[in-house]
Amino acid sequence: MNTNLKISNVTKIYPGCVANDDVSLEFNSGKIYALLGENGAGKSTLVKILSGVVIPDEGKIYLNKNILKLNSPSDAKKNDIGMVFQHFNLFETLSVFENLIIDSDEQRENLKEKIDTIMKKYNFSVDLDVPVLNLSAGQKQKVEIIRCLIRSPKVLIMDEPTSVLTEQETSELFLSLKKFSEEGILIIYITHKLKEVMQLCDEVAVMRRGKLVSVSQINNENIESLANKMVGQDLKKIKKKKENTSSEQLIKITNLNFTSEDPFETNLVDINFSLNRGECLGIAGISGNGQSELFQVLSGEIISNKNSIEFNKNFIGDLNPQERREYLMAFSPEDRLEQAAIPQMAIFENVALNNFKSSNFFNNGLINESKIKEHSKKIISEFNVNTDNIDLKSQFLSGGNLQKLIIGRELITSPDLLICFNPTWGLDVGAINYIHETLIKINEQNKSIILISTDTDELLKLSDKISVIHRGKLSKIMNAEDVTSEKLGILMGGGN
Amino acid sequence: MIVDINFVGLIIASIMASAVPLILASCGELITERSGVLNLGVEGMMIIGAISGFALMTVTGSLIIAVFGAMLAGVLISTIFAFLTQTLITNHVATGLALTIFGIGISAMIGKNFVGIPGKEFPVLFEGLKDTIPLLSPILFGHSIVFYFAFALPFITSYFLKKTKIGLIVRAVGDSPESASNQGINVRFVRYACILYGGAMCGLAGAYLSMIYTPQWIENMTGGRGWIALALVVFSTWNPIKILIGAMIFGGLTIIQFHMQAIGVRIPVQFLTALPYIVTIIVLVVISRDSRKIRLSTPSSLGKSFHKDN
Repeated sequence: MNTNLKISNVTKIYPGCVANDDVSLEFNSGKIYALLGENGAGKSTLVKILSGVVIPDEGKIYLNKNILKLNSPSDAKKNDIGMVFQHFNLFETLSVFENLIIDSDEQRENLKEKIDTIMKKYNFSVDLDVPVLNLSAGQKQKVEIIRCLIRSPKVLIMDEPTSVLTEQETSELFLSLKKFSEEGILIIYITHKLKEVMQLCDEVAVMRRGKLVSVSQINNENIESLANKMVGQDLKKIKKKKENTSSEQLIKITNLNFTSEDPFETNLVDINFSLNRGECLGIAGISGNGQSELFQVLSGEIISNKNSIEFNKNFIGDLNPQERREYLMAFSPEDRLEQAAIPQMAIFENVALNNFKSSNFFNNGLINESKIKEHSKKIISEFNVNTDNIDLKSQFLSGGNLQKLIIGRELITSPDLLICFNPTWGLDVGAINYIHETLIKINEQNKSIILISTDTDELLKLSDKISVIHRGKLSKIMNAEDVTSEKLGILMGGGN
Repeated sequence: MIVDINFVGLIIASIMASAVPLILASCGELITERSGVLNLGVEGMMIIGAISGFALMTVTGSLIIAVFGAMLAGVLISTIFAFLTQTLITNHVATGLALTIFGIGISAMIGKNFVGIPGKEFPVLFEGLKDTIPLLSPILFGHSIVFYFAFALPFITSYFLKKTKIGLIVRAVGDSPESASNQGINVRFVRYACILYGGAMCGLAGAYLSMIYTPQWIENMTGGRGWIALALVVFSTWNPIKILIGAMIFGGLTIIQFHMQAIGVRIPVQFLTALPYIVTIIVLVVISRDSRKIRLSTPSSLGKSFHKDN
């Protein structure tokens, strides 16, 4: 049976922002639809409306010509709309089976049978008895998908499903989605990744600042045309100029080990690498394979053996982050609002957190506010942070602006090495471009970068050398030109 | 010295009796906390239960009305907590502390008229079997119904959490209220229910103290047992069976140190009095060391307010 889902004139206004402005869209089963847009374009609000999590201020939704009342997630479920959220809606401490039975009305045995059938049909393999927190991101996603499939949905909505997956897992997911579509499930795929839209979808709707910009057949589009529609302006293409990097060694890591007492952290095993001035070392990997431990060891949040890290001919393995900064290292951690900045503090206060003996931010224990503010203004103007109010609490900056501020704070002291962890995670195309340009620029100034990232495209674009981290072990260091994303994918999955 | 074997049985029985209010209050609080709510008002709810039970018994003369009245009083006072934390989204810790202070104050006020009034005798079960088996008889027989209920409760609670759908929902809400809400579970309703249940059990624990354990009203008669119950929940890592073990150790040491004081052992009284608290916590920490299990049984959202955004 054909399914027709129609969104008609939906508007949702939040204080200070119109998340959806008079959006109308129509979907038919048998096709895979992409809903494309930058962060904050309103895609997530729209799918939350479709899944009953958010109630629109105006507008109606029709399923097969019948008007739908979606006041809660259970309404969506009752009307056969399944949703896989970007941030998994799973209960980490419950077992897979408990996660599945909790919203099912079926008997244990029936449900088990049903799950088995689904897993066989789509070639999923997930252990039902382990707690969800032991699963990989790809497996968690499969649990979410199984949960939807149990209810034999008419509509399946996927919200940015590949952000945590490897290349292999992504292509597996795409195969499954195509299979679902052939079986008559209407698929709506939300993403800001253009490549995926081209690979997977039949039709694409682009949103920008809450408005629907265009709806078109995928055959009439290409990556550039979609990018321009999404951003609303022509994007500059950036590419790293290949120059002769110097052969002067800047940092050398020798037999670095880290054994954690927390069983949910990854141990680092025999990390060895070195990096020359002006080079960028990319470290790829699926999240949770030791990246955050590696970052902490490199930044000094975790202290290691003195001789394991040689930086600028000094052994600094036993120094804390502040002391390492004095040796001209700089750090941009993964979590902008938890680790890099303090959300409740003003911009200039956050700037002052990165202080050096030479920066004179404090006089005899008192805060030298004018000095800090002057310094902050410099960062804001040099690094294009889009605000002129340095008293603003940093939690109110958008992700892109906050990242620019953090990178600016780190770079304004012109360090020799910048270590960054997922610097563009969750940012929109414009901000990503800016950060990438900045990183390339500092390489050109003969400064080095260690870029730990889960985004393979980013790594291939920026790195001179690439290594892959898998279960706390680094692969051998490869030259970026010799590496393809397929090869990275295999290494990330633990292959050879 | 010849030790009468029945005397040993009697000591064990008295240890068990002193563990009863701890088990009741802890198992109630455990359900509350498993749903992600930290209610520090256990002491307050217990003392309200104690005065309500005693007052109702004195006024109505009915033990049944008194016991259920005490539970209802626990429910009512916990409703205040539930309304504040779940509907008005106040801070769990501050609200719980306020509840305890409120409970102690109001119980003292009501209790003024009941000081010095003797309690009633509470009926015991299986009294006829008291002399049948040496050692075991005093342990197994001749106790109030609340006593038997308390020792069944950890097993019932464990079964409820592990094997029933409602138990699963409670754990799910405590693990991630956001996910639960997105799954269509009414988080606020579940948490209200768990808070009210916790209130009922604390009320019962209080009634046990004032009607059965020491049948009279003394101001502040819970004497910190509510806080111990709270500690038991945390240090048992939210495991009802370990609560039982912890409550027995605490009760046991309390009784034994009384006897030691009475015999006149030359250890400072202050140290003896502190002993149960210290040893119980050490033992529970030692038996709950597995950090993987801690992670799996700790309600991740404990003490965090959940506000459904729209």
